[in-house]
Amino acid sequence: MYYKLAFRNVRKSLRDYLLYFLTLTFAVCIFYVFNSIEAQEVMLKISTSEKEILKTLTQFIDYISIFVSVILGFLIVSANHFLIRRRKKELGIYLLLGMKKSRVSRILVIETLFIGAISLGAGLLTGIFLSQWMSIFTAKIFEADMTAYQFVFSVSAFLKTLIYFGLIFVVVILASTFAVSRNKLIDLFSAQNKNEKPAVRHPVFTVILFILSIACLGVAYQQVLKYGIMDFDYKLLREIILGAVGTFLFFASLSGFFLKLLQRFKGIYYKDLNFFILRQINSRINSAHISISFVCLMLFCTIGILSTGLGMNRAMENSLTAATAFDVEVEMNTPGGSTMSISDDLASKGIALSDYTKKSYEYADYTNPSILGTEILTSDVYDKLKKEYFMGGREYPVPFIRLSDYNTLLGMKGKPSLVLNEGQIAFSYSAAAQGFRDVVQEKWNRTGRISLLGKEYAVYPKMLSESVVSIGADSSLAIIVPDSFLVDSTGKVTDGFAASGSYLQFNCTGDSKTVQDEFEKRVESFYGEDASSVEYFIVTRNIITASYAGTKAIIAYVGIYIGLVFLLTSAAVLSLQQLSEISDNRQRYLVLKKIGADDHLIDRTILRQTAIYFLLPLLLAVVHSIVGLRVANDAIRSLGGINAAQNILITAALILVIYGAYFLATFIGSRQMIVREERNE
Amino acid sequence: MSNMLTVTQVEKYYGNKGNLTKALDGVSFSVQEGEFVGIMGASGSGKTTLLNCISTIDKVTSGQIVIGGRDITEMKSRQLSEFRRKKLGFIFQDFNLLDTLTAQENIILPLTISAVNHREALSRTSEVAQTLGITDVLLKYPYQMSGGQRQRVAAARAIVSKPAMVLADEPTGALDSKSSRILLESMEKLNTELSATILMVTHDAFAASYCKRILFIKDGQLFNELIRGQQTRREFYAKIIEVISLLGGDVSHVL
Repeated sequence: MYYKLAFRNVRKSLRDYLLYFLTLTFAVCIFYVFNSIEAQEVMLKISTSEKEILKTLTQFIDYISIFVSVILGFLIVSANHFLIRRRKKELGIYLLLGMKKSRVSRILVIETLFIGAISLGAGLLTGIFLSQWMSIFTAKIFEADMTAYQFVFSVSAFLKTLIYFGLIFVVVILASTFAVSRNKLIDLFSAQNKNEKPAVRHPVFTVILFILSIACLGVAYQQVLKYGIMDFDYKLLREIILGAVGTFLFFASLSGFFLKLLQRFKGIYYKDLNFFILRQINSRINSAHISISFVCLMLFCTIGILSTGLGMNRAMENSLTAATAFDVEVEMNTPGGSTMSISDDLASKGIALSDYTKKSYEYADYTNPSILGTEILTSDVYDKLKKEYFMGGREYPVPFIRLSDYNTLLGMKGKPSLVLNEGQIAFSYSAAAQGFRDVVQEKWNRTGRISLLGKEYAVYPKMLSESVVSIGADSSLAIIVPDSFLVDSTGKVTDGFAASGSYLQFNCTGDSKTVQDEFEKRVESFYGEDASSVEYFIVTRNIITASYAGTKAIIAYVGIYIGLVFLLTSAAVLSLQQLSEISDNRQRYLVLKKIGADDHLIDRTILRQTAIYFLLPLLLAVVHSIVGLRVANDAIRSLGGINAAQNILITAALILVIYGAYFLATFIGSRQMIVREERNE
Repeated sequence: MSNMLTVTQVEKYYGNKGNLTKALDGVSFSVQEGEFVGIMGASGSGKTTLLNCISTIDKVTSGQIVIGGRDITEMKSRQLSEFRRKKLGFIFQDFNLLDTLTAQENIILPLTISAVNHREALSRTSEVAQTLGITDVLLKYPYQMSGGQRQRVAAARAIVSKPAMVLADEPTGALDSKSSRILLESMEKLNTELSATILMVTHDAFAASYCKRILFIKDGQLFNELIRGQQTRREFYAKIIEVISLLGGDVSHVL
């Protein structure tokens, strides 16, 4: 009999449950899709290092899922709380008829389990379906080819979803049991007609609060714009706290402030039901402002995470091609200035280069401990770069590379040689962002000359951006000089200079991806075997691609994951709040109807009220974001160009769809509540 | 004096053929302009159904209701809500004041709904408030007022739009006797000073004794009619009690 009652209840209040059900399903779906990423591996043709990255990504998602499930748990519990509140009278009748509290709880438990089971099922189904599409996205991020289509089903994600949401439902059940046992019968009955005591704040107090909030926000904005966000220090912390406090104060005082303000404009105040709406919002703001503020901050995070996450992704794509010169680069550090050949050393260990490549080249770079990056760039440029591109640590010696080496490498890549005039040197900066290069280039354009060890040199007018030399030699600024600058005809290194590293670079033959992995494995196999032997640092294109793709994937997935959950949560919270307000105060709307407000006017009133609830936090979040993104863009620019407009458009579209759907559902739900209740009267 | 309200052969049936309830069974009467008419009857006699039909909240099964020369049984729902806010004023048993609004805002509501200019609306609000003696509570919220003050604010809201007729549904139902007396005196004042036409449904003989004429309803049909004429309120009250005992033979049932 209890089962029957429970099922009938669910069916009867299907409309109330609809939003709850949708939110649950959506949450389950997101949860499953992001936790199933590892399983998509079967469809992708990726290297070992990419597999490693995928593992790291999965770990990341694991941690974030805990955070996400806590958020979703709160959301689901409060949604359930709302449903119970709406049914207090019904529960009261059960109790009045002599049903034991434990029985009533049992009905609720059955209902929760029922709804939970359905939404879990629906969410998992959509999740499994969506994760098939997700693998296309994953493939794109890893720039991997897709193998033949395979049905992707992640058992671990499936079980994880079951366990996490199972736990959430247990909490929901406990919460609703608690709600029933705590309530007195009289409260259950009078819940609907309780005369709320509206919170009246002193108008002067409200105005002071409002001004204070604007001041907080203003200072926070100004500080952020001034100091940026790259240094994670107490300044950033102060900015965040100021911004959050400002947001809370803003929403706490906004309605009161506007009420006072609009009361001076009686024409607007007494137009339609404006004063009713204002009073309505003002009466709830005491409890509502906290959640609205949270929603605002969450939306801000969503906008920030989504648009910078996508931007970061693009920026990295740009620099990927620049970062890798050859398929394989081996670096050997020669601190003693020894001139051991890498290929000889490898051959002595039984690794024949000819197994892997047709043509390889070996060279060295040279440093002079008295020529530092800071000095070369001069302090004004260095400071500018440091401030705008957050790049520190140019205090180490600058590597010099012989022109002949450089030209041989260019030749291997099929590029024309570089010709330097007498007394001319060239700067190479391939791994850096365009904007970074521009700053340095501008400096050389201005002076055109540089003094090295007391001698003047002309600077080659164009900064070299071709990635030719090894990442080891080129991770910062490198200077290309005529051979005689470093080594004389007898092979003697110029005084003050010393070889700092040897490099071996080549492109692989055959199936490059596999050959790279093989070579890496071979070299790594004798690592640690002989501690006194030379130290190798090996970089393959696979590793670079994987690390780029991995960072990209982590940023993209984590960003989208958190962004979606935040967006869903904020929309659902607002929706619940508005619906519970309408349901608590439906008597007021019915009075309006009795007095003669037609459905049109009621619709308009509800629409305005819902719109205010949804738009206010969004508007402030957008203002926050404009400031935030300006700063973030500067930060991202240091990694490469960013197409901000496009990312923001994508983010806006996402927000529009999800937020808009909840807005519509809320509006329709509120309307129905009033129309339907009237019919029941 | 012309007829403000004419009810002709109104019937209201609930249920279906097998199980038909005649809530109103051929009710006919009329109310003249400036009259203060009470409708009395036991629970389930049909008095609230009658009031709902007159107030356009419910529809009749057959018959005609003409208010101020317009047949409301013929109107569409859009016209009805317009008619309701322009021609009718309501006083409900449970005040139905909006607790988020001040007294002034509560009273002005029907005017803003009808899009009356705010200057005129405000001056009319203070006018009505003065008549009902609630000027000093205008800026207070309902929870800051006494029950009697609340009901007078509700009365002020009912008449602020100068309706053709004020409909009151058990207005004293939730009031103590002192507040009831104050409210009823205000309604009497509305009737005599502002010559408002008032139709009040009640089962309280004391409240009914303030009316000029009382219609008794039983099982959906008009049963009796009492006219106060030159009698004092006390004499009229005694008459009412007499009829009530005739009606159901059980005074306690209707009191």
